[in-house]
Amino acid sequence: MSVALKSWRANEGPKHLITMVWIAANVFLFWKTFMVYFSEAQYYYLHKMLGLGLCISRASASVLNFNCSLVLLPMCRSLLTFLRGSQRLLNRRTVFHTCLTYAVIVLVHVSAHLVNMVSFSVRYSEDFPGLNVAQYRGQVTHTDTHMDIFFPGVTGVLLVLVLFLMFTASSYCIRVSSYEIFWYTHNLFIVFYVILMVHVAGGALKYQSNVETHPPGCVQNNLSSWTNHRAAGEKGTESSGAPQTVCQEEARFQPHFPQTWLWVSAPLCLYCAERFYRFIRSSAAPVTIVSVISHPCSVVELRMLKSGFKPHPGQYILLNCPSVSSFENHPFTLTTVSPFVLVWKCVFLPTCNISNLTVCCAFSSHPRVHVDGPFGSPSEEVFNYEVSLCVAGGIGVTPFACVLQALFDDWRQYKLKRLYFVWVCRDLQSFYWFADLLCGLHERLWRDNRPDYLNVQLYLSNTQGLQSISEERYRFLSSRLRIGRPKWKLIFQEIGRANQLKRVGVFCCGPKGISKALHTLCNSNPHTETAFEYNKESFS
Amino acid sequence: MGKIEWAMWANEQSLAAGLIYATGGIVGVAGQFRGWQFAAFGIAAGVFVCLLEYPRSKRRKGTSVERTGQYCFTVCVKAFGPLTRNYYVRAFLHAALCVPGGFMLATVLGCVCLGIASLIYLSAAIHGEHWEPILPRTEQPKSVGNSIKEPPQNPPPRPPPELRRKKVDKLETAVYDNPMSVTINE
Repeated sequence: MSVALKSWRANEGPKHLITMVWIAANVFLFWKTFMVYFSEAQYYYLHKMLGLGLCISRASASVLNFNCSLVLLPMCRSLLTFLRGSQRLLNRRTVFHTCLTYAVIVLVHVSAHLVNMVSFSVRYSEDFPGLNVAQYRGQVTHTDTHMDIFFPGVTGVLLVLVLFLMFTASSYCIRVSSYEIFWYTHNLFIVFYVILMVHVAGGALKYQSNVETHPPGCVQNNLSSWTNHRAAGEKGTESSGAPQTVCQEEARFQPHFPQTWLWVSAPLCLYCAERFYRFIRSSAAPVTIVSVISHPCSVVELRMLKSGFKPHPGQYILLNCPSVSSFENHPFTLTTVSPFVLVWKCVFLPTCNISNLTVCCAFSSHPRVHVDGPFGSPSEEVFNYEVSLCVAGGIGVTPFACVLQALFDDWRQYKLKRLYFVWVCRDLQSFYWFADLLCGLHERLWRDNRPDYLNVQLYLSNTQGLQSISEERYRFLSSRLRIGRPKWKLIFQEIGRANQLKRVGVFCCGPKGISKALHTLCNSNPHTETAFEYNKESFS
Repeated sequence: MGKIEWAMWANEQSLAAGLIYATGGIVGVAGQFRGWQFAAFGIAAGVFVCLLEYPRSKRRKGTSVERTGQYCFTVCVKAFGPLTRNYYVRAFLHAALCVPGGFMLATVLGCVCLGIASLIYLSAAIHGEHWEPILPRTEQPKSVGNSIKEPPQNPPPRPPPELRRKKVDKLETAVYDNPMSVTINE
């Protein structure tokens, strides 16, 4: 039981900790801003005019400021690659839930401001004309003009519209079926941030700038006696013994300095700097396509050369092909590092377009491509464990192919002592993509007297018909081929028994079903003294 | 660009727009704005749009992912036949539903969002798309053929004897059988 807890702490602990810290920061910001507007002296008159709507809208605005600035940081891929180890903390699900909460907070903010609009109109103040936003009492309730000249209102509506377009186009279904819609609407974030900077510049909500000379609730000399009595009456019920302070001057109101600019400008500058750096890096050295090879099951292999490009095994790049689309970048894992090779399967529409273009142009000049990267991914951590389990589903084998290639070149320099490689495919032909690499690595390790270094298990999930790998040179693979889907519990038991008291890194690149099963098993493996640490490869 | 399925995006948009419309309506009614009757209509229209748009349509090509618990909604929506199948009808319906929202501040956002969704539905209809229900596949019972009654006359074909003999000088090619099954399907 305590061992499962150790695994759980290593796997889930950091993620849950970050989530708790994030929730705590949001709650703290909301509460602090709420209390400022509820009880501070400089907002006394404004609070009396608008009531709770003021406090809720400003508190939700500060939470939105915080999240707007945070949302840019995970997009700074180069920075994250530099700070390695952060990929385990930034889970896809966390980001999704952040966005959902964000949407809810936006709704709260908008609703509160709508109530504020009504309050501004109903409680129009003749005493403090500088505080008003409405032009006269009852503007909203009695006429049809909706104060639409009101600048933050217009920009607020535009912001919600942009957010609506971005949010609706970013669901999983849309990304899988029509990637272009997602890509082009998501690039509206630039418009969003520009309008956001302008949204807060309206200056509708004002604070009182001369609280010392005009304490709130003080009695004014030149005010009507009715107002004086009312103020006196209020003060009387609260503290009957306190003397009435006389105002030395009229209340003066000033709009805020837009706080959003402070929150958002730093991450925005960082993000712009990073995009600029990536653009320079990708267009500085040209990419030469050396060869294009078609493999069975609609898989294409692209060999390229780029000067000054030094990726590590397990990293990925963003590929941009201007002939297909000028703005789209798609992630691909590298399968070898020099010359760097990409292998992908034609499943996704953009990948099919690139496949068709490169294969058709195989005999004439190749299309121009730009490469942005390399960026870090969890697969780089394979070498940091003594024992690793790599599970690949179908074309998900590409990051591990890079790892295997790196081991083939020189396995001695790494901390890794044993690698368990499980590859599950639907078609037998898929195994031929990297059959040579696997057999070559096995031969090398046998010659170097490390037969227990690499343990390969191949599973064919399609159980129809008689299937086997019949080539003589792939005898190593045919003896390790099993028909049917693997029983993960048995594999974990075997690994656990053979590697007691060790930390095993579990890496998965494949369908969600497999990764979920592995994740659960990593957290609940009570039979041995081994700790299994789960690392998931994540891009769609 | 390839075949974009506009209807899928319009569906997500109209679901979100329905929620925004209903929320704006609730705020309008609760705050007793002028024209709160429009807000009440907004609540009803928003809820109706959400119920209509909840069941996803089947994709033309590829796997369709259902929303949780959408089967009962699919059955209800399917019952209206061509009214819900056709996207022109949906586009005009959304356009008509969104107009009253424009008369009141609280529902203006819902009106604009639903209007955009209606335009995208129009685009989907022009591209010839229509709504298809996602129904659960009825599993065909695996009928055993008549040949089960006739056992085979001949033994199964075997490879020639020289391939069958295990080569013990090369240990790595000696195949072994697992004592217990290691795959789920066996």
